[in-house]
Amino acid sequence: MGISKGISLTRIALVLFFLVAAVLPLCGLLASLLDPAAWEVFSSPQFLPACLNSVSIALIAMLLSLSIALLVSWVFCRTNIRGKGAFAVLMTLPMLIPSLGLGMGLVFLLGSNGIITNLLGLDVSIYGFWGIVIGAVLYSFPSAFLLVYDVLKNEDASPYEAADVLGIPKLSQFAGITLPYLRKPLISAAFATFTLVVTDYGVPLMVGGKTITLPVLMYQEVIGLLNFDTGASIGFVLLLPAVVAFLVDVLNQDRGRLGFVRKARVIREDRRRDFAGYVAVGAVSVAILLPICVFVLVSFVVKYPLDLSFTLGNIGRSMNLNAGAYWLNSLAIALAVSLIGTSLAYLAGYITARVGGKSARVLHLACITTLAIPGIVLGLSYVFAFKGSFLYGTLGILVLVNIVHFFASPYLLAYNALGKVNLNLEAVGATIGASRWRILKDVLVPQTAGTILEMFSFFFVNCMVTISAVAFLATTLDMPLALLITDFDAQRLTECAAFVSLLVLLTNIVFKALFAGVKRLLMRRAGLPASA
Amino acid sequence: MTTLTPKLSVRGLKKNFDGKGVLHGIDFDVLDGEFLSILGPSGCGKTTTLRILIGLLEPDAGTVLLDGVDVTDAAPDQRSMGIVFQNYALFENMTVRGNVEYALKFDKERKDRRREIAEKALAQLGLSAQIDKPIHELSGGQQQRVSIARTLVLEPEIILFDEPMSALDVETRLSMRAELKDIQERLGTTMIYITHDQEEAFALSDRIMVMGGGEIHQLDTPEQIIAHPADEYVADFVNKNLRIKMDSLARFMDR
Repeated sequence: MGISKGISLTRIALVLFFLVAAVLPLCGLLASLLDPAAWEVFSSPQFLPACLNSVSIALIAMLLSLSIALLVSWVFCRTNIRGKGAFAVLMTLPMLIPSLGLGMGLVFLLGSNGIITNLLGLDVSIYGFWGIVIGAVLYSFPSAFLLVYDVLKNEDASPYEAADVLGIPKLSQFAGITLPYLRKPLISAAFATFTLVVTDYGVPLMVGGKTITLPVLMYQEVIGLLNFDTGASIGFVLLLPAVVAFLVDVLNQDRGRLGFVRKARVIREDRRRDFAGYVAVGAVSVAILLPICVFVLVSFVVKYPLDLSFTLGNIGRSMNLNAGAYWLNSLAIALAVSLIGTSLAYLAGYITARVGGKSARVLHLACITTLAIPGIVLGLSYVFAFKGSFLYGTLGILVLVNIVHFFASPYLLAYNALGKVNLNLEAVGATIGASRWRILKDVLVPQTAGTILEMFSFFFVNCMVTISAVAFLATTLDMPLALLITDFDAQRLTECAAFVSLLVLLTNIVFKALFAGVKRLLMRRAGLPASA
Repeated sequence: MTTLTPKLSVRGLKKNFDGKGVLHGIDFDVLDGEFLSILGPSGCGKTTTLRILIGLLEPDAGTVLLDGVDVTDAAPDQRSMGIVFQNYALFENMTVRGNVEYALKFDKERKDRRREIAEKALAQLGLSAQIDKPIHELSGGQQQRVSIARTLVLEPEIILFDEPMSALDVETRLSMRAELKDIQERLGTTMIYITHDQEEAFALSDRIMVMGGGEIHQLDTPEQIIAHPADEYVADFVNKNLRIKMDSLARFMDR
């Protein structure tokens, strides 16, 4: 059976898309390094400290995030605490807020006029190295948690039963069974959190004070001083850890399929253990909720921290400063990216998972390579590639950069889901006269509807919170809402900045709830079990 | 076996993948109403043979004749053959009825009568009570019957099976094997069954075609294959269990 023309054309179109939207801009960025002047920044007095700060902050934050992720996942899988579902949702809440908002929340709490600082009469300030670490953990913990929890909850209980029979102590079981079982997700999570933290400028910009990290340096050079070439040099340095992380992750991929037989764990009664579980998860929940609650609070006070009486005035003030228009920008970008991105990623996943061939392998690599490009670097490379073109300064370029930036994860969702559906469906179609496209439309899309919604949701939420890829490309007219936080903060409109963070969070919560509802409806209508 | 006219004639079938020979020119006939198993280890060329028969793969050389008509270049849906795949490849987003009706949707003659044809076929296979159920609520045996019904409604001359049971547990396999045998006896449709499981082949088949290295080593009744294996390879593959038993018996006697 030959591969139809339509599929060949789609494949060529997708490869061209990656060439224009990812490869060429990056080459342009790297080309700017040919100019010796671009290397000057490496010998500047700020560069080395920024480098050291970035690496040490990312390492410490990674270790902390991983430890907390392991602890919380363990509590969820090994204790009988109630409300695991609600707690799990809570753990991922920071993903629905721009990192700028998380940093701001920490300042409200622990800054020099912070609520906790004042309450306890503390004299320490959060600004600086350790402030960034706290914010970075808040920002990166949810990703680590999702990776670890997802694997741990599918663990087979039988090795533990065997170990119990043999009288092996629990601690040795943890070291000898659990940790080796979690090796791959832990490595993935380690590199994912490291990359997230090392390339983020939101948290260090808000709580860094005089402590500069590489992305902040890049941000200041490009936004403050318009030194695009210097920015490119720093961007190149930022690309290195991301590429290393990507390579390790690709080599670390679990190629074997999970076994069919999995014995569910029976968690025995143990009140003291459960109590400890509540304490641990409760503490993490409070740590996540406090900075979020506090910007909800600040959104509705007259003047923080001087006049804490309640007001709705900040809504009107923000709207007068065009927050409404920027919110619409964000919605438009997020919807466009979700629609186009989901379609492209799904088609790409269809080709690589179900059509195959040598060029499919190239396409697969191209699709996941986007993981290795930090948003801030991708954004700057677009400045070089598209400046002067019709796209520059439009919503279109923001849509494009976000599609490329967030492409890999939804693509992998589609690739995995489509690979799991019986691979002979198209062959069955051929014997009854149904074309590939009919099988795609009538069988595969309905069967993977849940995945499609998840892809859509991933694009949407990330477009609402992203500040990295869009930072250098947005203009005062087409700016997305999240970037308004820095603007308002710089103008000392703290309460409005808080309200903007809240607006992003609320939008995401409403859409998440909507997606969950639609998903449940679709599953029921298709007669599929809810887990599919 | 109702008559002795070959239903299907395969002549000189050859296939290479990336310059590596997978089929080295094979010839065989399948009789009308016969249940033929193609038996061999993975990589012996049996799946390639099946994919060429149904038209999912083009041979490099050779012909496939169905009732004397050359169908080598016909599209898969133009050669009156149905296929049941591993794990049945059902449309899990549709009901039992939906699965069977979907197969008729692309057939101009039967399209308008698809509801009635599907109901009749499902009744014939004892699935009337499950007709509006989603696929995931069916047992393995019921899924096998839906898959057969989905090919039956197009009135194929031959139904091919591509290791349909290889991913199932032993118990399910045994009951589904019995069920399949029963269906074949009732319908009398010619069936070609691909498997690497000798026990399965012996339990189901009128004749067995033993393949290895892209060639046919023997094509005969189960009794003949046991009694007179054509070569060392067939003897080895088919009688492995028997031999082990004989060996240990001999060792026991030597003591």
